[in-house]
Amino acid sequence: MKVLSGLLTVARWEVKRVLGTMGTSVLPAAIVLLVLLVGVTGFTAQSGLHLQDGIYRIGVNYPPVADIVSSDSRFTIYLADTNTLYESRELLDVVVLGDQVYAQDTDRGRAAVRTLKRDYERYLNSVYSREQDLFAAYPLWIDVRNVKSELDFVATQSGQRVAAPIRSTTPPVPEGPVIEIPTPGSTIDIPQEDLRQGLRELEGQTSQVARYSDIFTSEQSPFGDFKTPSQLSPPLPFDSIILIFVFIFPLYFMSQFFMMSIMNERLERRGEALLTVPLHPSVIIAGKALPYLLAMVAISAIIGLWLNASLLILFPLIPVIFFFLANALIIGMVARSFKELSFISIFFSTLATSYLFFPSIFANVHIISLISPLTLIVFTLQGEPYTITQYLFATSLFYLTGAVLFYIGVVNFREERLFTLSRLMPKIREYIGTALSYRHPWISLFALNAFSIPFVFMAQMMLLVLFFNLPMPLSLVLLLVSAAFVEEGAKSIGISTLMYRETGLFGWKRIVLASAVTAAAFLFGEKLLLFVTLSQISESIFGSILFLSLGVLWLPFLLHFTGVFIVGASIRLLGRRGYIPGILAATAVHCIYNFYFIMRWFG
Amino acid sequence: MKAKNIRIVMRKDLKGLLNERTILLAIILQIFVAMFSSFLVVGLTSMYDPSSLSRFSGVRYAVGYSGSDSALEDYLSENREFRVHRMDLSPAVTALSERKLSAVIYVPDTPPDADEPIKITLYTIQNDISSTVVNVKLKELLLRYEDDLRSVREPRLDIIPVALEFPEQTGGSDFYEFIYALLIPLLLFMPAIISSALVIDIVTEEYQHSTLETILSTPVTLGEVIWGKVLACEILVPVQAGAWIVLLSLNGVIILNIPAIILQVMMFSMILILLGALTALYYRERTAAQFIFSTAIVILMLLALSIPDNPLNLVARLATGTAGPEQWLILALVSLVVVFLALLTQWAAEWAAKKTLAG
Repeated sequence: MKVLSGLLTVARWEVKRVLGTMGTSVLPAAIVLLVLLVGVTGFTAQSGLHLQDGIYRIGVNYPPVADIVSSDSRFTIYLADTNTLYESRELLDVVVLGDQVYAQDTDRGRAAVRTLKRDYERYLNSVYSREQDLFAAYPLWIDVRNVKSELDFVATQSGQRVAAPIRSTTPPVPEGPVIEIPTPGSTIDIPQEDLRQGLRELEGQTSQVARYSDIFTSEQSPFGDFKTPSQLSPPLPFDSIILIFVFIFPLYFMSQFFMMSIMNERLERRGEALLTVPLHPSVIIAGKALPYLLAMVAISAIIGLWLNASLLILFPLIPVIFFFLANALIIGMVARSFKELSFISIFFSTLATSYLFFPSIFANVHIISLISPLTLIVFTLQGEPYTITQYLFATSLFYLTGAVLFYIGVVNFREERLFTLSRLMPKIREYIGTALSYRHPWISLFALNAFSIPFVFMAQMMLLVLFFNLPMPLSLVLLLVSAAFVEEGAKSIGISTLMYRETGLFGWKRIVLASAVTAAAFLFGEKLLLFVTLSQISESIFGSILFLSLGVLWLPFLLHFTGVFIVGASIRLLGRRGYIPGILAATAVHCIYNFYFIMRWFG
Repeated sequence: MKAKNIRIVMRKDLKGLLNERTILLAIILQIFVAMFSSFLVVGLTSMYDPSSLSRFSGVRYAVGYSGSDSALEDYLSENREFRVHRMDLSPAVTALSERKLSAVIYVPDTPPDADEPIKITLYTIQNDISSTVVNVKLKELLLRYEDDLRSVREPRLDIIPVALEFPEQTGGSDFYEFIYALLIPLLLFMPAIISSALVIDIVTEEYQHSTLETILSTPVTLGEVIWGKVLACEILVPVQAGAWIVLLSLNGVIILNIPAIILQVMMFSMILILLGALTALYYRERTAAQFIFSTAIVILMLLALSIPDNPLNLVARLATGTAGPEQWLILALVSLVVVFLALLTQWAAEWAAKKTLAG
């Protein structure tokens, strides 16, 4: 009860402080800016974005052809007679003489032809949809039926080729019982005028985004799975880019305020008063974070309502908010100056945005997309449910890493950490050092390593996203080496912090012991997290590389032990200079081990 | 206003940046973003552009064909990427669900010159990369078939469109516009935004750490302090923009007119940096200044983008080599704004100095 009232008091102070400093001077300006923003957005919507204007030059000798491209601001059009065009052909990317298109043999020339082709197709559609006899202009319609495969996840995920190559020339015979499929009818149920209406609507959608690449947005059929051939290729979910802006940016903005509030306490020892309050640091931090947390949830809910989405979208966002706040806390606590604060937070937000954004591009296409909670939001917006397992899979890493960061923040929320300035790396080492107790060094070393596992997994997931679309052997090798590097780096943190702290005291016996503790902790943490969440990925070939060391117990233990021991020995022998070579050597050993096992895997 | 004092302030702030290794962080960030976007482009191209899927060459996708004969069936069996199996519909779809086929096509017996359209039913596997790839490949053949049918039915068309004959396409990147008209302008203007946020940080820092009084007790004036900081941030712009250009060139993107681009970027950045300095002088506190400034930046960028011949568009055109002499006119206009803002900054610094001394 006392804790709760303390928490609410701190939260109230925070709100008061923010309103006090921001209220009088910022609010009027913010309102003016908001009005301006609405006005400018309207203006932009009307005049369009002029980013690509005039990047191609086209020469035309027949006015109707010029009309086809006249609405496309990417082209600067030169209407002239054949001779003039021929003489100045060097300056033009594309020349259209009569019905013949000629292009420069350059990247720009080829790109110009591509653009012209798309404009021409759009023009053809606008003509065809006005034909009396619509089915003479659109003689072919395709009804796409999706078949659910029970093998869905296994096939693409287990790293097989995109489609299994089938060598036999005889038709395949299904193994299971044949399901009767009714013969599809040959007539179209949608009236001709409705089809015409739908095709006309498509014309209007010459969206700005669509222009950036024909790969990004092919035309979506207004009739769902009923399409003309040109609508057949699958469009990328451009939603996720917009989602990033709509959902993640406000969250990022709000977490900046929290970051700044923590930083402000550190300026000129202003937070001293706060530290004298008879409350545990965790209560103080929670109290300070509470208003921001509520504001972020409220903003997300408002955006959700505005998008007409079900409020289920809040569930995947909460771990993201939690994670953002945890990072804001740590960044606000370690930054030495405002510029450092800015750069670290920009760096962090780029990393976090890529982690959230890149996988969600593949929503509906590949299981890998489930790494990002945004994918769940895409699903919710599409009106598809997601399972608890999927939710755990996408969000557990966010919850875990957020919790660990909050813990580190809480133990370090004291005078000697907050009001001192030191370089970034030593500062981080100090923070980790605080987490390693003097009285129980082995238990805390174990805990530190076990808790570093979610971070390692997060980094490795990112690598997986980065590499999985490269050609097969290359992606495997890159993943293997970088994953080993990340793991060895993480394992070295605890032992090196201990060794730096107690330089003289760390004999060989203690190095062996520390390596054993680290190895045991890693094994324990990996096992635990895998069983909870990652079974889906770990069944794939990519997973087997990341988590190869999980088969028999003593082998991975030996591997982890050797890696840590190499780093420890290297520091012991060479001092601090030995750290980097130690990690590289450990990575090499790790890779050799993995290669050996994969080779055996493939026979 | 003494140039020497300005230089001292500038050097101090640059040194501070180097000391904190924040610049290093920014460069790592650039490399990271460049790496991610190039990987992304590689990944997406290979997924959506069949011709670049060379790594799958030699693979033949098994397709079940059911229903009546058609030109489509011939196209499929001529194509080296498909292996067509004539099957009954039900076993074919069952085999598809067991992943023994990549797609199943059913063609009805509607004749090519019928009044009715031909309605093909295409069965694919839901939510799967392989069906994405197969669909892209099938689309080519279906488009050809559509063309055939259209020419059969052509006499029935009442409006005849203008005809255009395109040359055989020889390669060429799908991402030309994406790279030159989106990525390059946005990446090159990122340093401008970073630098202007930075100027707010280093100005408000002097206020909030109460170091400004100390500085002003020396012969240095507030105007000189501000200009030193503004120039320190401005110097970073060509460095960062240059780093982007080098990274993009390493990725095989050829950028033309580099000096002119850097000049344009530097001039435009100066507007943002001066606006940042003005905001910082007014609010003297980071949270408020950054909040107001970042909102203002969004408005300014949107506004700039919605005006034809804006500096971002100009950079795109310079990079592709289609910019004409109008670039100098734009540069002159931007310079005019810079001069106006510079005078305003000078005036604001004098005003702020009075305010600081008064209390």
